[in-house]
Amino acid sequence: MVIVVEKREFVTVFSIDGSVDGTTARELVTSLRAQVTEGSARLVGNLAGVDYTSSAGLRALLETVKETRQHGGDLRLAAVRPEVLRVLELSGFTSILQVFVDVDAAVASFAA
Amino acid sequence: MVGEPTPHTRAPLPGGEGKNRVAVVIGSGSVKCAAALGLLKVLDREGIAIDLIVGCSGGSLYAALIAMGHSPAEGEEMTRRLWTRELTKRRSYRSFLRAVLPQMFGFSEQFGLVDDSLIVQRLRQAFGDGTFEQARIPLFLTATDFHTGEQAVFSQGSVVDAIRASIAIPYIFQPWKIGGRLYVDGFLSDPMPVGVAIKHGANVIVTMGFESPYQPRATSVLRFAFQLSSIMSNNLLRANYAFHNLAHHTEILPIIPQFRERIHLFDTDKIPYVIEEGERAAEQQLPYLRRLLAAAES
Repeated sequence: MVIVVEKREFVTVFSIDGSVDGTTARELVTSLRAQVTEGSARLVGNLAGVDYTSSAGLRALLETVKETRQHGGDLRLAAVRPEVLRVLELSGFTSILQVFVDVDAAVASFAA
Repeated sequence: MVGEPTPHTRAPLPGGEGKNRVAVVIGSGSVKCAAALGLLKVLDREGIAIDLIVGCSGGSLYAALIAMGHSPAEGEEMTRRLWTRELTKRRSYRSFLRAVLPQMFGFSEQFGLVDDSLIVQRLRQAFGDGTFEQARIPLFLTATDFHTGEQAVFSQGSVVDAIRASIAIPYIFQPWKIGGRLYVDGFLSDPMPVGVAIKHGANVIVTMGFESPYQPRATSVLRFAFQLSSIMSNNLLRANYAFHNLAHHTEILPIIPQFRERIHLFDTDKIPYVIEEGERAAEQQLPYLRRLLAAAES
C-alpha cells in the first residue's frame, strides 16, 4: 500500500494505492493520525487506487473518521471502486461517511 | 448418505497455537448458497484448510455437505438431484385451514403452507442419520428459537434436524421441533452468522452472504410477506455484519457473488453458473487471503 498526501487549501487529500487490510491498516491509521494531530482534520480519502478492503481496513477508516471528528473535522471518501463500495455499503459505512464521485467534489464539500 | 471422505477434505488445524483458524461462513440465500461450492473449489485448489464451518438457512445445506466431506462435484450433483420443484408442490391444507378457520380447526404454531414431508425425505437421502460428531470439519448450523427470537447454534446430534430447523422459511415450512423447542429459519436471527465463527475461535473468516432480492411489485399476500421479510433480513444482515467487523479483531473476508440475472428458488439449471460466480468472487479475495495466511506462517 502506498499513501500519497497532498494539501489543497484547507483540506488534506490522501490517495491510497493498494489494499487496505490487516497487513496495511496500522500504517494507514498511523499516517492519518499524524495528519490530524498536525492540524489537518479535514481529510479526503481518494480510494481510486484501492482494490480491496477487509474488516481491518474498515476499522482503520472508522478510527480515522472518529479522530477527525473529535478534532472538528471529517473524513470523506472519493472515487471508491464498486467492489470496495459494496463492502462499505454492506458494513453500514455509507450511512456514516460521505462518499463522493471524485476528489474535487469531496474537497468542495468542505467549503459548503 | 454420508459420503466417503474426498481428497479435498483435510484435518482441521490445531487451534490455540498462534496459527490462524480459518472459518467459512455460508449465509442464507436459498439456491444461491451453492456458490459456496465455488468457494470450496478455490480453497481446495489453494490448499487452504477449513478449521470450522458455519451455515444458516440455505447455507446450512452446503456447510453440512462440505463438513461431511463431499466434493464440489458431489455437491453440485446432489443439488440437481434433490433440489427440485416437487419440494414445494404439496400444500399443507391442514395448516391453511387452521390459519383461516382457527375457531374451527385450532391454530397451531407449527404453521407452514407447504407439506414438508418430501423435503425431510430428501434431506435424509443426502445426509442419512449423519451427526455433527461425524463431520470431518467442525460444523455449526444456526436456526432461531421461535419463542425467544434468539439464535440457536447446533453442533451436535442429527444434522438433518438442524438443517430442517435452519431452513424453516416463515409461512412456507413449519417451524421444526428439537428437544422440545420450536425453531424457525436461521436468517431471522442473523442471515450471515459470522459471530458464531468468532465465538468458536476463528480469526480469519471467509464469509459468503447474499442479500434477499426485492420484488418490483407484490402481487400476492405471500409475495407481500416475502417483501417484508427481505427488507428486515437485509437490514439485519448489514447491521450484524457492521457490528462484527468493527467490534472484533478478527479478519472477515466477505465473498459476495454478483449474479447478472435473478436466481429463483428452483433455478437448479443455473447451478453451474452460481458455482462459477462463487468461484469468481472467492478468487477476488484470494490475494489477500494468501498474504494473510503467509504472514501468520512467517
